[in-house]
Amino acid sequence: MTAAGEVLRVENLRKRFGKEEVLKGISFKVDRGEVKVIMGPSGAGKSTLLKCIDLLIPPDEGSIWLEGVELTSPGINVNQYRRKIGFVFQEFNLFHHLTAIGNVMLGLTKVRKLPKNEARELAEEALLRVHIGRDLWDKYPAQLSGGQKQRVAIARALAMEPSIMLYDEPTSALDPQLTGEVLQVIKELAESGMTSVIVTHEVGFALEVADELMIMFDGEIIERGNPSEVIYSPESDSAKVFFKKVLRLGGVGR
Amino acid sequence: MSFWGDFLTRLSAGTLTTLELLSITIPLSIILGILIGVLRVYGGRLGSALANFYVFIFRGFPLLVTMMIMFFGLADVGIMLEPFWAASAAIILCSSAYQSEYVKTAILSIGKGQSLAARALGMNRFQEIAYVIMPQALRTALPGITNEILYMILYSSLAYVIGVSEIFASAMTMNSIWVRPGEIFGTIALVYLSMTTTASTVFKEIENRLRIPGFEGAR
Ligand SMILES: Nc1ncnc2c1ncn2[C@@H]1O[C@H](COP(=O)(O)OP(=O)(O)OP(=O)(O)O)[C@@H](O)[C@H]1O
Ligand SMILES: [Mg+2]
Repeated sequence: MTAAGEVLRVENLRKRFGKEEVLKGISFKVDRGEVKVIMGPSGAGKSTLLKCIDLLIPPDEGSIWLEGVELTSPGINVNQYRRKIGFVFQEFNLFHHLTAIGNVMLGLTKVRKLPKNEARELAEEALLRVHIGRDLWDKYPAQLSGGQKQRVAIARALAMEPSIMLYDEPTSALDPQLTGEVLQVIKELAESGMTSVIVTHEVGFALEVADELMIMFDGEIIERGNPSEVIYSPESDSAKVFFKKVLRLGGVGR
Repeated sequence: MSFWGDFLTRLSAGTLTTLELLSITIPLSIILGILIGVLRVYGGRLGSALANFYVFIFRGFPLLVTMMIMFFGLADVGIMLEPFWAASAAIILCSSAYQSEYVKTAILSIGKGQSLAARALGMNRFQEIAYVIMPQALRTALPGITNEILYMILYSSLAYVIGVSEIFASAMTMNSIWVRPGEIFGTIALVYLSMTTTASTVFKEIENRLRIPGFEGAR
């Protein structure tokens, strides 16, 4: 069933909240090492899509496959697969009561059940990969800047050694001068071969990292393809309007 | 025997009993309060209904009435508890119902994002509650729990009515012998005051030690 390089496959995913159909049959697949970027206006269903993939929101219909295993099949132990999907939230969601390194270690000791010293080594490694230096390891989230928090959150996901990373607008909650350091880290990870799905409004960043760009609108993927083609010469009117707005807001070149 | 000599003997025996009563009821009511509070939030339909009913009952009865039921009421159906244990049971039941309210409110104040992040790491429900939610919720609940403990110290005196020889009982006995209510009740008021002051100092210290640097409270 599964192609050798395929990490994630989403087939005909549907979700409604009450009357509103938020996902109207989404399908795509992500190969190993591939970087997919999803863009689209507020309310398009981007967050819902990512949360459905991680089964943080149960989809109504459709199937999700991670490395050949169907996560949506009944009776599956969701937790076991969820740890293989790294999720980075817009609001960071660091555990307030733990230090930076404590945040990264928790999943390692409790979920992966590694001994403390081994967990600590892996956590240190992950933190260094996102450029969080030793001086910040024992700081609590409230003592970190937004950019530092988000990088710790990335390290926390990374340390679980996921097969794929999902980023939900990772820089939208940050001051503009702090987005760069976070985007840089995500880009480095992508370049090192980390399979990723990234929801973002940063056009310049999308152009740089995306292997494929998908435009979501009203619960559907209305356009997909090579990022610069999709951005500079979109076919659908909705996408044209969307990019006209985004580009005018000056997203390019950051 | 002199008044003060007699008082000292009786008061120290009474104080010892009160401290025994508190050393049992405080920890058990906290533990039970946490369990009930967790059940109210995470117990599912049945669990939360049961836990809510528990709170409805024991927060709805006056402690004095619960105490009477534990001692005289249970005796009617053949369960004989010694006064000390009947009083302990009543205080634990009543107090844990109040404690659970603080715990529940604290759990509900923890942002949804914390739970999402825990689950995204692959934690099961138990791990999420034990390692992410409760460590934060208990910090938030601590001032309320402390407050309830101060009340417990004070209403432990109700145990007098079912015949526990605690501080208040020793004062009543003293007064029936010596009839010097001003000195007697003034003195035990100071004993209670010193116990509540000690407890609030100790719990303030615990709160300070557990405070998360830079964190202003759960959002
Ligand atoms: N838990 C929920 N209950 C009800 N409606 C919801 C829920 N979550 C999302 N929605 C609705 O679903 C739609 C899509 O929301 P979603 O958060 O997925 O959009 P988005 O594309 O991520 O937008 P944004 O760019 O603002 O983050 C919105 O109309 C939203 O109001
Ligand atoms: Mg969103």
